[in-house]
Order: sequence, then C-alpha cells, then structure tokens
Amino acid sequence: MFVEAILQVLREIFPTETIEVQAVPIDESFIALPPNCIHHATEMLVDRFDLRHLSTITGQDTGSAIELLYHFWDGGGLTLRTSLPRNEPHIETLTDLIPGAALYEREVCEMLGVTFDGHPDPRPLLLPDNWDKKQFPMKIDHQNNRLPGQATD
Amino acid sequence: MLKEPLSFLLTIEGEKVVDSVLRFGYVHRGIERICQNRNYVQNVHVVGRVCGICSHVHTTTYCQGVEALLGLQVPPQALYLRTLLCELERIHSHLLWLGVLAENVGFTTIFMYAWRDREIALDIVDELSGGRVAHTINVIGGVRIDVSEGQVDTMLARLDELEQRIETLLGVIQHEHTFQVRTRGVGHLSAEQVRRYCVVGPIARASGVDVDLRRDAPYAAYDQLDFRVITTEEGDVWARTMVRVQETIESLRLCRQLLAGLPGGPTSVRARLRVPPGEVVSRAEAPRGEVIYYIRSDGSDRPARVKIRTPTLPALITIPDQLRDVNTADVPAVLAGIDLCIACVDR
Amino acid sequence: MWSRIVRWARRKSPWVLHFNSGGCNGCDIEILDLLTPRYDVERLGILKEASPRHADILLCTGPVTRQSRDRLRRIYEQMPAPKWVVAVGSCSCSGGIFRDGYNVLGGVDQVLPVDAFIPGCPCRPEAMIDGLVWLLRTIR
Repeated sequence: MFVEAILQVLREIFPTETIEVQAVPIDESFIALPPNCIHHATEMLVDRFDLRHLSTITGQDTGSAIELLYHFWDGGGLTLRTSLPRNEPHIETLTDLIPGAALYEREVCEMLGVTFDGHPDPRPLLLPDNWDKKQFPMKIDHQNNRLPGQATD
Repeated sequence: MLKEPLSFLLTIEGEKVVDSVLRFGYVHRGIERICQNRNYVQNVHVVGRVCGICSHVHTTTYCQGVEALLGLQVPPQALYLRTLLCELERIHSHLLWLGVLAENVGFTTIFMYAWRDREIALDIVDELSGGRVAHTINVIGGVRIDVSEGQVDTMLARLDELEQRIETLLGVIQHEHTFQVRTRGVGHLSAEQVRRYCVVGPIARASGVDVDLRRDAPYAAYDQLDFRVITTEEGDVWARTMVRVQETIESLRLCRQLLAGLPGGPTSVRARLRVPPGEVVSRAEAPRGEVIYYIRSDGSDRPARVKIRTPTLPALITIPDQLRDVNTADVPAVLAGIDLCIACVDR
Repeated sequence: MWSRIVRWARRKSPWVLHFNSGGCNGCDIEILDLLTPRYDVERLGILKEASPRHADILLCTGPVTRQSRDRLRRIYEQMPAPKWVVAVGSCSCSGGIFRDGYNVLGGVDQVLPVDAFIPGCPCRPEAMIDGLVWLLRTIR
C-alpha cells in the first residue's frame, strides 16, 4: 500500500485542500477530505491504484457533525474521513465506482439519516418495516424510551 | 437447515430464477448502540454474541482493538491461545457448514458425519474454555485460560482423530458423483465480480482472489506460523467446498504447530477500565472472511462508537447474480454455498 | 381410554418446530446438535419439522425483535392445538444480553404464552434435553 504515493496524487488533484495523513492503530492511515472530494478521490484510487476493496463505511454522530469513514484495504488500511452537517447530511454515492458499497451506504442512511445521492436502491437495510422513518438509532439524541422487559407496539 | 430468519422474494419463470430480492433485519438487535451503553469489559461479552458460530473472532478483533488503544503488550502465551481458539473455531464452523450444505443437497449422511466429527472440536474447546459455543476466553489484555501438559496431549490425540475423520469426509465427497453434480457449475462468481462487490473469505478464494488476513496482515500469533492459503479458480459451490474442507485440514496443522510451540508464561496483563481518547481499526480473518471493527473512545469507560462489519454482508449483494438462471431446485445449494450468517449481518 | 392413548402418543412423539426470532445462532446450533449422533433426540421421539402445521412444540431462540414479532405470532397461530412453547436460551427467556436494544422487545413471553424456560447462554444440549423431558412429563 503506497500511502505516500496516494497522498501525493491527492495533493495534486485537490491543490486547494490541506491533506495530511494520520497514522491510526492497527496499521491504518486516515486522510481527511471535504465531502465533495470523496467521490473524485475514490475514482483516483480505483483508476490509478486499483484500490477497489472497500471494507465498510462507518457513520458516527460526533455531536457537532456526522462523520463518515470509508475504510479501504490493499495490504494495509486506508481510511478517508469526511464530515457532514447534522442537518440534512448528504454525499455522492460510491456505487458507480464500487458496487460493493451499496449495502454499507444503505445502513448509514437508515442509522444516521445520510442521503447518498444517486444510490440505486436506498431502501432500509436492517430496521423493521414499521420503524418510524424519522428516528435514526445511531444519532446521539435517539432515545429508547422503553423499560427493560416491556414490549411496546 | 440452520434456520435463520431471512426473507427471499424469488421471481421464477418456468424452473429458472429470474430475479431475487432479499429482506433481512429479523435478527437486528442494535448491538452497536448497545455497546455504547456498556463499558469495555461488558462489551467483550456483547460482541461475542453477535454470532454464536464465530464468537471468538469477534471478541479477538474487539480486544485487540481496545488493547491497541490502551497501548497494551499482550503476552505471547495469550496470543498463542487466542490463535488456537481461532483455528478451532474455523474447524468447527467449516464442518458445520459442510453438514448444512450436504443436508441442503439431500446428502443427510454427510450432515450427520460432519456434525458428529465436529463434536471432537467442540470437546477440545469445551475443555479449554468451559463452553462449547460463545466461550469468551478473551479478556482485554489477554485470555482468561491456560493449558497444562496433560491437556496438550489430550488435545493432540483428539486432533489426530479429527484429521482422520475429515480426510474420510473429503474422500467421500470427492468420489460422490451426485454431490459433485449438485454443486459443480452452480452459484458461479468470477474474480471480477468478487472484486467489484468486495467479497471476502472462502468465496473470494474459491474464485481465484488470493486474500487472507492471517497472511496479509498477521494478528495474534499468525506471524509465527507457517501455513498455506487455499485458492481455486472455478468459483462455484464445489470450489467453495474444496477450499473450506482443505482449509479445515490446514487449520488442524496450525493447531498442532500452536500446541507444539506454546511459549508459556503469563496469559494476560492488567487493563485500565478507562480508555484514553483515540480510534482504532481492527481486522481479523473469521471463518467467513474479513471482519473489521472500528472503535472510538472518548476517554471514559464506555466506547463512543463500535462499528462492526462482518464478512457475510458483502456476500449478500452477490446473491441475485448467483441465483440468476439457476434452477429452483438448486437454490438451496447456492444459498448454502455462501455460508450465510444472518446473525452476523444483522447484528 | 382413547384419550389416554392419544396423550401417550403425544408424549412419545413430540414433533418440534424451531424458530429463531432474533438470536445469535448459539442456541440454534446447539438445537441442531440435538439431532446429530451424539445427542440424538430421535430416540425420544422428537423430530424436527419444517411446517408449523406438523409441530407440537415450538422451540424459540433469541430475543423477539420488532421485525420478527408478527411472524412469531403467525407461526404460533398456525400450529394445531394442543401446542407448547419452549423458550430456549437466556435471550428467549428474558431478552438476555440484548434486552435494552432499540429493536428488541424482550423474551418470547412478551408475545406468546411460554410453557417451559430453558436458560443458558447458550443453552447446552444436555439442558435442552432435560427441559424437554420435563415438559413431556407434564403432558398428562
């Protein structure tokens, strides 16, 4: 995995952005990018480095933003990090470049309310049919409101 | 056979499957959210119950992630025992799968033989850990078990017996014409499809994609061990059968290497309850492929985020492709060939 | 006389249906282990059936999730009387380690009337046989 080479190309294609790599255990390199750069960066990874294995997409609510982490793997781990606003977060889908991203994006969509523009099949993945579509379980402010041992609905 | 709740909507014309739509989520327990409500020690038990079949690899991946955040140096004896359980789990999982596949193609004898022989592996695990399934030997900082000389000898004897039985099973399925007719040429995936859908594990290796985290990103004690990664080119259910059975035999050899090379010494180090702020990405090779954990800590005794991606999830996208133009009667064989673990997918 | 024979037949050949309403598969693979040569519950007359219409006993594993609740209820309604429900495993008894999950409603007793609870995480096959034999003894 040539992280230095990838970093150099990223700096070339996004000359106005400050791009640094952060070493994270275990053998992972994190690179932060703005949301509108992720699709172009992935295109570069696929075309120039044949880096097509996307392990998963992590979505997390940090309180101030919704953060997406795209975990790639090619002999070593590379993660692209991006921050979306908590109100109406949306980002371009990667399914045109990496069809394997389809299910990961569906899960982030239903858990955090992120819209993936251009996703071919944005149905919920895991949540039940009668789930309230405005409730996002992985958002910080989601409350269970149930006592243990008591069924509801 | 192993009834997991999963819904398929198949569109059929005549005898051929034209399209398929999947619905899962029946086993979605919200484990990632539950992990945020428990401390790091309690979460070892929670993640060990994402799936009963591959429980140990989940706790291994989680513990090695938290140990990295804490900056702990896990003792070699613990790493060896962790690896031993990883391989025993691979053996039991593949034998379980072989039985399920055989039952799905109508070969109930192999189901009975494979599960009977699997009991030998479970006996070893039971003696090591006190439990057959969901044994949770991992603690943050190492393992909670140790082995004595006598136990090593008993285990080696059992492994010899198991190897003989598995060689017999392999001989039966290689010479059983009906089994091969049911599994050759069905559920085909090319190497290009595997890469496009980011499929991992034995399915990828059966289509010629040479990837195995035990060799490519060694964790636990794998950097000390010598083993083959099994790949074939055909990419159908038969190829996956061969890969998994031969992996089982390779795992037996790994177990012997581990037992012969146990370094001795302490089996764990103390770990603080509060984990310093940070993030970690931890990977391991489960019986079904790459399992990845992302853990973020905020300095408290509870994780701020635990993200789990299990190996069956990428395999699910390939199901419509695998089922297209397949006879309805072959659908169970194709689905069994994938080795689905819906509990892992749904979490 | 006739009803004694029928009750004897029910005790000696209980056919079971297994349904996983949200569990991790731990208890499920131990239930399947009951059919395999080491434990072999067929000697007790127990056969695993695929259809609720053929089953006397419903073995439930796993906590009940929102998505599987209606399916569980429907399966129970399709079983002909007399029928019994056995909750196998801690999750099925009470929700277990997942009981505060946002998608988990609790144990099987939240949805169905349960006749026997067999705890364990996962439940060992010996415990399951013990529980089933106890249940069969109560069928009089």
